[in-house]
Parts: sequence; C-alpha cells; structure tokens
Amino acid sequence: MKNTAVELVGITKAFGENTVLRGIDLELHAGQVTVLMGANGAGKSTLVKVLCGVHPANAGTIKLYGEAFSPLTPSEAIRSGVVTVHQSINDGVIPDLDVASNLMLDHLAKPGSGFFLNKKKNYAEARKIAAAMALDVDVRQLVSELDLADRQLVAIARAMAHKPKLLILDEPTSSLSATEAKRLFVLLDRLRDSGVAILYISHRMSDIRRISDRIVSMRDGKISGVFEESPLDYEGAVRAMLGHSMTDANIQIQEPGTPIMQMKDIVLQEGATAFSLDLHANEVVAITGLVGSGKSGLANVLFGLSKPHSGEMTLKGAPYNPRSQGQAISAGVFLCPKDRATNAVVQDFDITKNITLPFLARHSLFSFLNFGSEHVTAQNTIADLGIICQSDTDEIGSLSGGNQQKVMVGRWLVEESDLLVLDEPFQGVDIKARRDIGEKIRKTATARATAVMVSEMDEALEIADRIIVMNDQTIVGDHRNENIDLRLVLTQVVGQLNNATGNDEHAN
Amino acid sequence: MNMQTDNLKTTRPKRTATEIAIRYGFLALMVGLVIFFSVTTEGFASPYSAVFIFQSVAITGILALGVTATLVVDGFDLSIGSTATSALMLSAYVLVVLEMNAFVAVAACLVMGALVGLINGILIVKFRVPDLLATLGMMFLLIGLQRIPTQGRSIATGMTLPDGRVAEGTFSKAFLALGRHRFDFFIDNLIPVSVIVLLVVGLLVWVFMELTRHGRLMYAIGSNSRAASLAGTNVNRYKVLAYMISGVLASVGGILLAARLGRGDIASGNNLLLDSVAAALIGFAVLGAAKPNAFGTIIGALFIGILLQGLTMMNAPYYTQDFVKGAVLVVALVFTFALSKRGGAH
Amino acid sequence: MTLSRRIFMKIAGSAVALTAGLSPAFAGEMPAPFDNAGDVKIALVRYLSTGDFFQAYLSGVESQAAAIGVDLRIFDSRQDAALQADMVDQAIALGVDGIIIQHGLTEAMQDAAQRAIDAGIKVVAFDVNVENAAIPQVEQSDYLLGKLALEQAIADNGNTWNAGYVYVAGIAPLDRRDVAWQDVKAANPGIKELAMFGTLDNPIANSVANQARSVLQANPSITVMFAPYDEFAKGVKIAVDEAGMTDQVDIYSADISTADISAMREAGSAWAATVATNPAVVGEVSVRTLAMLLAGEETGHNVVVPPTLITQAFLNDNDIKNMADLSANMPQFAHADVSVPAWMPLPKR
Repeated sequence: MKNTAVELVGITKAFGENTVLRGIDLELHAGQVTVLMGANGAGKSTLVKVLCGVHPANAGTIKLYGEAFSPLTPSEAIRSGVVTVHQSINDGVIPDLDVASNLMLDHLAKPGSGFFLNKKKNYAEARKIAAAMALDVDVRQLVSELDLADRQLVAIARAMAHKPKLLILDEPTSSLSATEAKRLFVLLDRLRDSGVAILYISHRMSDIRRISDRIVSMRDGKISGVFEESPLDYEGAVRAMLGHSMTDANIQIQEPGTPIMQMKDIVLQEGATAFSLDLHANEVVAITGLVGSGKSGLANVLFGLSKPHSGEMTLKGAPYNPRSQGQAISAGVFLCPKDRATNAVVQDFDITKNITLPFLARHSLFSFLNFGSEHVTAQNTIADLGIICQSDTDEIGSLSGGNQQKVMVGRWLVEESDLLVLDEPFQGVDIKARRDIGEKIRKTATARATAVMVSEMDEALEIADRIIVMNDQTIVGDHRNENIDLRLVLTQVVGQLNNATGNDEHAN
Repeated sequence: MNMQTDNLKTTRPKRTATEIAIRYGFLALMVGLVIFFSVTTEGFASPYSAVFIFQSVAITGILALGVTATLVVDGFDLSIGSTATSALMLSAYVLVVLEMNAFVAVAACLVMGALVGLINGILIVKFRVPDLLATLGMMFLLIGLQRIPTQGRSIATGMTLPDGRVAEGTFSKAFLALGRHRFDFFIDNLIPVSVIVLLVVGLLVWVFMELTRHGRLMYAIGSNSRAASLAGTNVNRYKVLAYMISGVLASVGGILLAARLGRGDIASGNNLLLDSVAAALIGFAVLGAAKPNAFGTIIGALFIGILLQGLTMMNAPYYTQDFVKGAVLVVALVFTFALSKRGGAH
Repeated sequence: MTLSRRIFMKIAGSAVALTAGLSPAFAGEMPAPFDNAGDVKIALVRYLSTGDFFQAYLSGVESQAAAIGVDLRIFDSRQDAALQADMVDQAIALGVDGIIIQHGLTEAMQDAAQRAIDAGIKVVAFDVNVENAAIPQVEQSDYLLGKLALEQAIADNGNTWNAGYVYVAGIAPLDRRDVAWQDVKAANPGIKELAMFGTLDNPIANSVANQARSVLQANPSITVMFAPYDEFAKGVKIAVDEAGMTDQVDIYSADISTADISAMREAGSAWAATVATNPAVVGEVSVRTLAMLLAGEETGHNVVVPPTLITQAFLNDNDIKNMADLSANMPQFAHADVSVPAWMPLPKR
C-alpha cells in the first residue's frame, strides 16, 4: 500500500557547536499528508531547509523514490521535485504581477523560453493551470488584489506547476482565517488524491485534525513520535512534541508572597475570553501554550508593547497602563524579549555594552559614562551566570547561543524589578545554559514577581512554582508545580478541540 | 533558532597580520602619503602646508561629522550640502539685506540648521518616510528655497534687490573673522578659525558618541533599533536628535563657508555632500572600527585633503582628483566590509 | 508636472505682458509688425539659468522686450538639453513670432531650430552654434575677453613673469578664452606658466581657493594669476589673501558682478583687472537682433557684443559700488551700439 516517496536516514545537521538535527530517520509516503509538529527550536525549519536545498546535511542520506537526493541549491531541489511553499505568503508570489505571470513565472525564468512575452499564450497556459487546481480567479488580476487565501492558493498552484514529488507546506494557514483555510484544505485533498507526498508543518490543532493522515513529532533535533494509526492520537503527538523526560529538575517550590501584578478581566483580542491573573512576589510563573495561544500577547501587554482590548492592570496596587517600554521599565516591569537576534542582541556591541544597555543612566554622571562601573557590573553578571568568554570586552557575536542568551537575561537581572517577564528565554539554548539561566532566575526571584513564557513542558517544570496554560488567547489552566497532573496540562494545551472528539483515551 | 549567531567561534582569535593591517593599515597609508609628497613635492612639508590641508577639509569635515551622527543611528542625511549652502545664503541675507550683525546671522543659521534637522527627523520617525527619500526631498526643497528671496541671484553688498532697493549691508568684520582670522601658534597668524572649529566640533562629537550614554544608545539604535527600543530607549527621539546634530553642523559649515567667501553664492552644495559622505565612509576603515566614528571621519577628511593638496602641488589636473577620491573611498570600503570580521559577519 | 509648468509659464508670461503694457510706448514710429507690438510674441528658451550672469542676461532681455512692447515668454530647461529642444517645439506650438535660444548643445538644438525656421519663426541664438545660415549668432567675444585682460597684465607687469592659470577644459567659453592665453604665451616667451589648475566643484570659489593655495605654496614665485572666469578669480583672491601674498600677486580675470566689484575694491586687493561684457546688454542685443529679423531687416550672421576692460583703479577713481554705478560711469559697458536701427526703442536707464 505504502509508496515511499522520500526516505531520510540518519540526517544530522550542526551549526558550529550547536547540533540542530541529531539523526533523523523518516519516511514520507506518496498520497499522504504527513504533519510535522515541533516546538520552537525543535529543528523543523532546519529539516525543511535540508530537504529544500538551503542547507546541506552534515551526515545521512536522502532518497527520493529510491534515488539519492542531496540538493545543493533550492533550484536544484525544485528541479528534482521537492517544492516548498514558505510561511510568508508573499515569499511565494510576486504581488505586483498578475496571476498569469505568477503562475508562469518559473517557465519564464527557464533558459530558452524566448525573449518576448506571448501574452495570449501565457494567459491560456495560466488558465489551464488554474483550472487544474480548481482555482477560481481571473488570471489577469494582480496578485496584490487577491485576498490572502487566494494568494496562498496561487503560491501553491505555482509550486504545483513544477509537478512536485514532495510538496512541503510551512505553516500555510498562519495568516488565513478558518473559512479561507477550508479552501486550502479542499485543494490539498485533491493534491493528495493525485499522489503527491505532502509534508505539512503546523501548530494549529484544527488544521492538523482536518488534514493529517499521519503525525510526526519532533523534539530537540530528533523524531520523538510517529502517529499513523487511525484514529490519530493527537494528544500523544503534542506530548511527544512538548516532551517530558522528567529530567532531575530539583526545585523547591516557594510559597507565593504579596501580589505584585494584578490583571483583571483582561481581553487580549477582540472576541477572546476574558481572564484574570495575579502574579506574586517570590513566585516564578511559567506560562505555556502552543504558538498563537496568546503567551507573547500577554508578555507584550505586561510590557506596554500593546494594549489589552479591555481589562485593568494594577502594579503593587496602583493602576498600571504603560504607554512605552521606557515607562514600563521605570515602573519596575522588565521584559527579556524572545528571538534574541532580532529583539535583544546589539551585534556591534561587546558583552559589557550589551549588559549595561537598559540601565546606562545608572552608570553615568551628567550623561558621561563611567566605564569602571560598567566593567564591574559586567564582571559580576559574567560570574553570576557562568558566561563563558575570554573577557567582558568580547564581541557578543563571538559567544555561543546559550551564552548570548545569558547576557540577554543578565541584562535584566542587574537591576531590581517588581515584575520580570521573560519571553521564551530558553529558545535556541543548550541544556547547560538553560539550567544556569533557570537557576539564576529562581535564585533572584524572592522580591519580585516573575513570569516566564515557555513552549516546552520540561522548561516549565524546571523553573516554575506555578504553571499557567494558555489557549486561544486566554488562560485555561493554573497549576501549582507540585504533584502536577501532566495529562491534564497537556489536554489544556491542546484545547477543547481534542476533547470534542473524545477519542483520546489510549495514552501511551 | 539562531544559526547565524550560533555558528561563530567561542574562542577569540589572536591578532593576526590581517587584523593589524585592518587596524593600522589606513593610518600607515596616510603616513606613507605624507612622506611620499614631502619627498617628491617641494614645499609640501611645512607647517603652512599642514594648516592648508586642515583648512581645505575643515568645512567638509564638519559636515562629515554631521553625516556621522546620522550614520550612527543607521540613518543618512542627503540634505547636509544644501543645508550648508542655505546657511551660506541665509547669513549673507541677514548681513547684507537685513543689515543685522554677525551674531544674529550666526544664530539664525544655527536655528535654521536645527529646524531642518527637526523636520527631517519628524519626516523619518513620525511619517515613516525612508531616510534617503526624506532628506533627498529636503535637499531639493532647500536648493530651491535659498534662491527664492533673491530670485536666484547671489547676495553681495550693493546688489539690487527684487524691489529695486540697493542692499547696503556688509559682511561685518566680526563675521568675516570667522573665515579669515588666524590664531598664532608658534608662528604668527597660523591657524584659521575654521580649523579650530573643526577640531572642537570633532572633539565634541567624539566625546558625545564615545563617552556619554546618549552616544552609546545611538550606536545601539544603529546596530539593532528594536533591541534598543525593547531596552527602553526612546528611539525616535534619538533619531531626531541625530538629524538635528547633522543640520546644525551643516549650518556651521555653511557659516564658515560664507565667512570665507565673503558673499552669498547660490550653490547646490552637492559637492560638499559627496565629499563629506566620502570622508565619513572612509572613517569606517580607520583603526578597523567598521562603524561610523568621529575620529575616523576627521582622519578620512584629512586623508582626502592630503591627497588633493599633494596632487594639486604636483600640477595634476582637476579630473584626477575625483578619480583619486573615488579610489580612496573604494579601498576604504573594502577595508571595512571585506577584510574586517565585523563588517563581513553580517 | 508638464501641465503645471505650462500653467506657470502662462502666468509668468502674462505677468511680463502686463509689465510690458505699463512701460512707455514707442509703438507709433516702429515698422510692422511692431506697429502692434502687443500682438508680437517672442520666446526665450534657456539652457543655463542659475547664476548672476544668467539673471542679468534675463533682465536685459526683459527690459528690451518691455521697451519694444512685445509679449515675452520664458522657457527654462535648467540644463536639460532634451527638454530645451521640446521647449522650442512648445514655443512653436504656442505660435510665437520669434525665438531666442540661449545656450544649449549644438546637437540637441540644431533640429529644433530648423523646425522653428520651417514654421516661419525667426530665430536668434546666443552662445550656441546651431549651424544654420538663417539664424544670426549673438556672441560676446570670449577671445577678446581673454585678450584684453592679458594685454592689461602685460601693460602692468611687463612681458616677463611667472603665471598661474586657472582653466577647466571642455567648457566652450573657457576654451575660447584659452586660445587667447595660448596666443599671448606664444608671443611672449618671457611669460612662464608654472601651474595650471581649476575645478568646477560647487561652490566653485571655495574649491578653487583650496587648489590655488596649494599652487602658491608649491610655486611661490608666481606674480600673475590669469583666472578668466570671475568665480575662479574669487577663489584665487581668497587663496592669495590667505597665503599673505596679496602684495606680490596680481589677478586678471573675465566677467564682473556687484560682488566682484567689492572684492576688487577691497583695500590692497590683488584683483587688478577684469574684462567683461555686460550680460544685460547681451540680453538687450539678443532681443533687438530678433526684432530686426521680424521687421525684415538685415542683421549679419555674427552679432558680436564687444567687451570692456575694467581696472581696479577705474573702480576706485569713480567710487563704483555696484553694477548700476558701473553702467552709469562707463557708457560703453551700459550700452552696446549693436543692432540699433533708427526706429529701435531702447530701455530706459
């Protein structure tokens, strides 16, 4: 029955010292939609990039219908029949050209396709492709005039023009509404029936339930679970993805102190359910949930990056409505943002300058910097967090990812805060650095409230006194990290969608 | 997932020959040039010659320091040249047509420069016009604006105004002194005011950028404005400040130009713009900084000045000068981007 | 863009026409078509417009046009050769009777000028050779400008001196002045050119000053600077002053403006003499030549406006402060007796 389209054996990939893929063995079958799940940093994107020719693998083999496949460039991958539609819709289409040109673009770019455009022929060909894909759009229309779903369909139709053997879709519904997504699924059903192997990457449980024939979970650079028996075990897949090896996280759960941040009837987005949340001193709260569950939205609201749709916040009893990051900081609320490369690291600065960035005023007199005081602060942070470096004047870029993250976290620990929010502090960080950071956060947490947004269950269990689960822009679970019922937590992470089916009784 | 940052080495490499070349290569090249011209060209090696070089680059140097301020916040100011020539016209207008004194003329120019910078800044941070486009617009606007009050004529004492009146004001002694007075320094009447202004402005910009927290935050904005913003920096305010520094320095350059020329010449200032941008970019290569910096900018300006002085003394025709400027710039950019680790790492 | 420019031109044109209407009318004695001068439309199509010289030229054109009472339209291509040719076509479409082409590139203007002639329009060209027998060329004699300045330099300094020469090749008037310099050098072997320099980097005076100072440093024996363009002369004067060589060096130049007069008259100024054609007079001559063509009179193919020598001593002796004073004290500068038939009304002085 199974017709293996792609076979990966022992694929590994490292960037410097950071091993991202640790021996991936995977088969993808023709006429099947395989959903790939994995938390941030699990290695999904790298795996896709190896498949579509962006990065070569360090070791391992890939076979495409039995033939060795090791593309060196994306265009080579496409020619061999592995076509990828990326997450950002506009990467797949050229908005300022009409639909026909978009559909025919790859033909036009081919050498020997003639110098002059033959518009009529182009339109006719494009209509043929559109019809084959049941794409109901006027091929003369500009892509920029189409709605998002149609654009995505055009991008996929473009991909299909290459007659792919494997079609990779990277979070194709991330910017589509539910009805828009439905149209996409209809198309995917047709493609599946035509015998294409589809690798579908998504976090949305509703998508996964609708489209998947098979789920592959990834965690920490490895395949952590393959689920292909009907009915599919969605919760098992999520558990495999979030993981829980119950590492020897040996933490003393603390009693909560006085409430510091009180959020009342907060609605994050229009239409979302209201929630209330108190964050106490001497308590580290891990906030977990899938991508899009509202974790980052909550962090942004706390730090004044966005306003809640409605609701009230008080900080130590006083109303708290920061209008800028500067205001939040001076009120005593610090945020260590996620995605450190874009949001935190100042590449041109050395370690010291990166550490002292937010609180330069404390290191200056009449605006003149006191380099000695900066140096002392940097030395202390380096020692406290065990940052591995030659000296505090090393370029930040010369540090490993974990050590860079320590610098970014350390930046916010040098001053006392009332509320410290850390958004995904363990992203792209090795286990040792993760332990160091977690330990340091817990050690300093006595006088303040601490909220840590995390995506893996281990991380939450390792760092938190209390674990809060978010789903669909609201809080759905609140647990003390003592004798915690992990099944319940996971159920809450996955959400009611899973409960609605009621067929997830066979946990492994 | 931060592959690009994760794959960098943890260990710090020893200072290699290449690194030494990057760090001191440009300064060595400059010393070499000075020696070369001193040997080959009679009269090059003299204190007067040195002062000439400084004076010839004083105005572009001051403008280049303004460009540097905007480059630090990852911006760019195309309007400095025309801001300078507008200040030139404005000071002449105040002195000759309105018949006011030197103090008013200088103050008016500085206010105008600050205002131009403020408008540039607001266009860029509030109206989100890309910096090149906003300052390009400002450049054209100023080139036109400076011609409107005199209907495109240059301003000089005795000129007939559009309304038929004859302008009676003069460039006052005090104002002209800005361009012509020379301070004694071992030799009588050696160092012109403009050179002193260049050195003082250079020192101020250097101190501001390297030693104060405001300068530090501006560099942070230039490297990663999002990170700076999330660390609580008011990014917009510092960007506007950078353009205001640029505008004020450009008008300082314009004032010195007016004092030297002794009249209000209409000019687009495009050459001033190009020369000062070149100086600021050459500055990237000095001491292997790979970033805009005040010291490098002044060295960059001097480098061009030395070359042009030497070539002119050797009777090289004018068109070789642009060629040489271009060559120096290209070499400096190669130093910055190809050889330097930091330039290349991005 | 083009539309708004056209509208602007119309407004400008009617403004000029209005001034023309107010000026004293001489129409009674003039030949056709100037018996109804208000109905005669002429166009000035410019290539160069920024700078004192071109402003003064324009004012000459305007005042002579007003004196005759014709309707003047001004087209300004701002150094865009293709646009200038289009503007000639616009003028043709507008139904003008005569066109003055002011500067431009031969290649670009030749065909456009011929189209105007074919349309029955009279054309005069100033300082651009359109290679057309039907089109008179109005010129200031650049050769004479250079020649007169150098003759004065020899009269002041004898025929043996070391010279610095400011020159940028490829600029037509400067090239013509250069011919005079080469001739004078050949005729006077005692004159030695120690350095040649020059640049058109803007602001020109500032850039030339930087160069001139290096030149003076390298060649301290220079006593005469020949700078046959007033922006050059200004730059050289700044350098001479800054080098403290004011007493040693004399500067001879071409062109003049109010600012130049005050620079020449500064106490002990090194700027000894300049030779100039009054650009306003050239403007007047251009209009008069066109008017003669329109009246069917013979103008000759080359209409040369002679230059005038202006020395520092003359300016000081007559206490001349600006261009108006100069015109008042120097009749040959204020008015050129070129293209002046008996019926021609002249601008009021």
